[in-house]
Amino acid sequence: MPPSSDLLQGTLDLLILQTLVMGPMHGWGVAQRIQQVSMDVLQIGQGSLYPALYRLEYKGWIRSDWGNSENNRRAKFYRLTAAGRKQLESELDTWDRLSTAIALVLGRLPEVSA
Amino acid sequence: MDEELQFHMEQATQSYLTAGMTAEEARRRALVDFGGVERTREQYYQQRPGWWMNTVLQDIRYALRGLRRNPAFAVTAIATLALGIGATTAVFSVVDRILFRSLPYAQSERLVSVGLVAPIIPQEFMLGGSYYDWRDSQKPFSAFTSETGVNPCTLTEHNPARLNCASVEQSFLPTMGIIPLLGRNFLPEEDRPNGPKVALISYGLWGGHYAGDASIVNRLIDIDGKQVRVIGVLPKDFEMPTLEAADVVIPQALDEGAQRKAMPGAVMYAFARLKPGVSIALAEAELQPVFNYSLSLTPPGFRKDVHLRVRSLRDRQIHDVRLVAWILFSAVLAVLLIACANVMSLLMARAAARDRELAMRSALGASRGRLARQMLTETLLLSVAGAAAGYLLAEMLLRIFVTIAPAGIPFLDHAQLDVRIILFTLLLSLLCGIFFGVSPALHKPRITALMGRSIGSGRHAILRRALVVGQIAVSLVLLAGAGLLLRSFRNLEQEDIGLHTQGVLAAHIALPHYRYDTPEKRMEFFLQAEAAMRRLPGVLKVGISDSLPPGAVSSDWIYNNIAVEGEQRSTNGTGGTVAYSWVTPDYFSTLDIPILRGQVFTEVERTSSEHLLILSSLLSSRLFGNQDPVGKEVQLAPNTPWYTVAAVVADVKNAGLTGEDKPEFYRLRRNLPEEWTADSTMVLKSSLSPAAAALWMRSQIAQIDPTVPVEVETLSQSVSKLADRPRFETALLGFFALSGLLMAIIGLYGVISYLVAQRTREIGVRMALGATRLDILGLVAGEGVRMIVLGGAIGLVAAVAASRLLRSMLFNVGPHDTGTYATAMLLLALIALAATLIPARTAMRVEPVVALREE
Repeated sequence: MPPSSDLLQGTLDLLILQTLVMGPMHGWGVAQRIQQVSMDVLQIGQGSLYPALYRLEYKGWIRSDWGNSENNRRAKFYRLTAAGRKQLESELDTWDRLSTAIALVLGRLPEVSA
Repeated sequence: MDEELQFHMEQATQSYLTAGMTAEEARRRALVDFGGVERTREQYYQQRPGWWMNTVLQDIRYALRGLRRNPAFAVTAIATLALGIGATTAVFSVVDRILFRSLPYAQSERLVSVGLVAPIIPQEFMLGGSYYDWRDSQKPFSAFTSETGVNPCTLTEHNPARLNCASVEQSFLPTMGIIPLLGRNFLPEEDRPNGPKVALISYGLWGGHYAGDASIVNRLIDIDGKQVRVIGVLPKDFEMPTLEAADVVIPQALDEGAQRKAMPGAVMYAFARLKPGVSIALAEAELQPVFNYSLSLTPPGFRKDVHLRVRSLRDRQIHDVRLVAWILFSAVLAVLLIACANVMSLLMARAAARDRELAMRSALGASRGRLARQMLTETLLLSVAGAAAGYLLAEMLLRIFVTIAPAGIPFLDHAQLDVRIILFTLLLSLLCGIFFGVSPALHKPRITALMGRSIGSGRHAILRRALVVGQIAVSLVLLAGAGLLLRSFRNLEQEDIGLHTQGVLAAHIALPHYRYDTPEKRMEFFLQAEAAMRRLPGVLKVGISDSLPPGAVSSDWIYNNIAVEGEQRSTNGTGGTVAYSWVTPDYFSTLDIPILRGQVFTEVERTSSEHLLILSSLLSSRLFGNQDPVGKEVQLAPNTPWYTVAAVVADVKNAGLTGEDKPEFYRLRRNLPEEWTADSTMVLKSSLSPAAAALWMRSQIAQIDPTVPVEVETLSQSVSKLADRPRFETALLGFFALSGLLMAIIGLYGVISYLVAQRTREIGVRMALGATRLDILGLVAGEGVRMIVLGGAIGLVAAVAASRLLRSMLFNVGPHDTGTYATAMLLLALIALAATLIPARTAMRVEPVVALREE
């Protein structure tokens, strides 16, 4: 189980924002989702998750409300804000460029003319 | 937030349950996956924007709690710092006024004082005959101006007031860059001999006498019996470049044409503004031709002793105080260093004691940075508290300084704690805080500290010992300096001044010029006063002179002007100066000045037409060698009457307490008006108490003329006033030396007692193994003695080097006077030894059993 602190802080933000695109979710739900979609590779412990969530909230990219979970327990639900959506787009852009660049250098992608 | 985490936990547990684990197992796995809750909480807080501030506040609260728990430490540290910072601030504010303050003129660093230096007048001056030539043909200055001194004048209104009037040239204010607060500067036509009478008044006079009334401009006021128009008010910070107090400024109204032709003309003080890019050396070089030309016009005999001098205005103002100021400042910095070393030592001891706590905090996750920051916060708190206390102390000290300070030190009465000084204090305290905060902050808590045994950290012990050695050395330097000054001061006090002060009163009388404008009126006043004094029963002798020894203010005569009967005058330079005075016959017997040869003036001779002269012993030997001069003829200046020498009297100190005696001659004040000056001193020897006699004198003078100001004091008081300056310097340096010594001793005591506390177990073991109490005493005292000896040796070397600076302030004592050094070292050694012995006694009393059990 790779330790979740390996993930760069910014990347974690990106994952969370992307996960929230589909709708409001509570913290546990976000962690589960990321774990599922990444096929158990990325397991985010609450030690990284919640600080990241609060950071994003302070930056104004997500919003939190208290609500009821599936099993009728009180939980905090997070959702994207408009600013968050814009941030997500720009970060996705950056990520695409970055990962393509790294792949090129590592020889994983055939060189293509721009 | 807890609720959220709680929810997360429950969900995790749930998912494990559904995966098939038992409830307990599920919960355990969930907890394991969860990780540290506290850590999460902390990180949550860290994400908040204001988190950093919170930790600072936390640090401060913690530091305050720690200080409250150790009041002894806190009080000692703050008190030490307060003393060091307070003393430094007080001295700095004084020294700042003297050395660093900005002069109240535009671009004051470009202003210089220009003139001739001759033996007669201490500061450089100019003469009317040559001034105008210089002014017109000089090159290096963009402006050249003059003033002719400050003289007493009287404001004759319903409240007559004695004022000081400064006479200046029309260009004076523009050259110095002074702009009147109200009104305007003089016009050229007002600076002429019979020009319209105008004046500028000072801010103080305007506020005090005219209640700040803005309509003062163009009002007529009465000065010395004449109507003068006020054309303006001077700014609040106005002062004359010669630092003389001036209430009114009037045009000097010299007749330029007459002055040019006069030889030598009026005495003036010239000031100039250097052109941009011109240095003082260059200005002096460029003035040399003009100077040489003026010199060629003076009689050859005088040329040798006259030099050109150009120097900055600041130099002119402070030249004899500069050394004292620097010495004071260094002394107080030394005290500050000792104080800081003490606090540093205290902090290090405390840090070592807190080892355990720090190790615990480190184990709990505090980074080194956090620990260091906490220590620094503590030291900064201490230094700020110390600075606040120090500031209050400085206020007090400054007030004391100003009260005990003699009149001679400039600006002292204006020294106050202003914003600059406050900033200086804060800066000082911050520096101190960082200086001794660094060492404890770098202290790395070791894991062994958690085990509870406090081991004396080797590195720190050496540093503390080094600090104490340094403190002792610096204390020795201060002690030696203070001792030298004290010795010099005692020599001064015991010096024989050549006259008896017992039972003698002196009354300084300055007759107002406008009421006593003829010599006849002056003589009449003094003869009346003399007769009135004699009438008092109990009055033994009354004498009148125009100056009083041993004051340094005396009229000066040029030696080479004096010719002896039958001999030629020497033409070699001026031969130095000779003091002279006009006296009445009883002067010598009033002051008990011994008569060596011949007979002093008698009452009869006051009405005679003979010219009689009395020489001092020094003058007699210079003029006549071993011959008996009584009866010989002497001419005081070319083309003046010949005087017969009537007697030779013993030398009297006439150049201040420390100056070398000048040769002196006395002329009899006969009943001829020309021989009476407006300023005189009456000396009275009586068997009455000084208070009664003073009262009588004042009332008698008031009966003759109530508007004449009289200052009466006993002769001992006048003489003692001259010792004011050395007394002040000695007192200050003594204060610093004692406080430095006190703090060094406290430091020594602290280190030794800490050592004893640290080594209690070791002492217990030693005693159990057979060491006697005396051995333990030797052990502990040995530590102290080592430090004292080392500190003493370093201090001695430093003191010898530093005391060379004091040479000019010492009287009859060499800077390397062995007696003083020996005493200082002995004193230091004794007190330091005593400080060592107290903890040593505690060590001796250690019970081995108790010590061995102690952890």
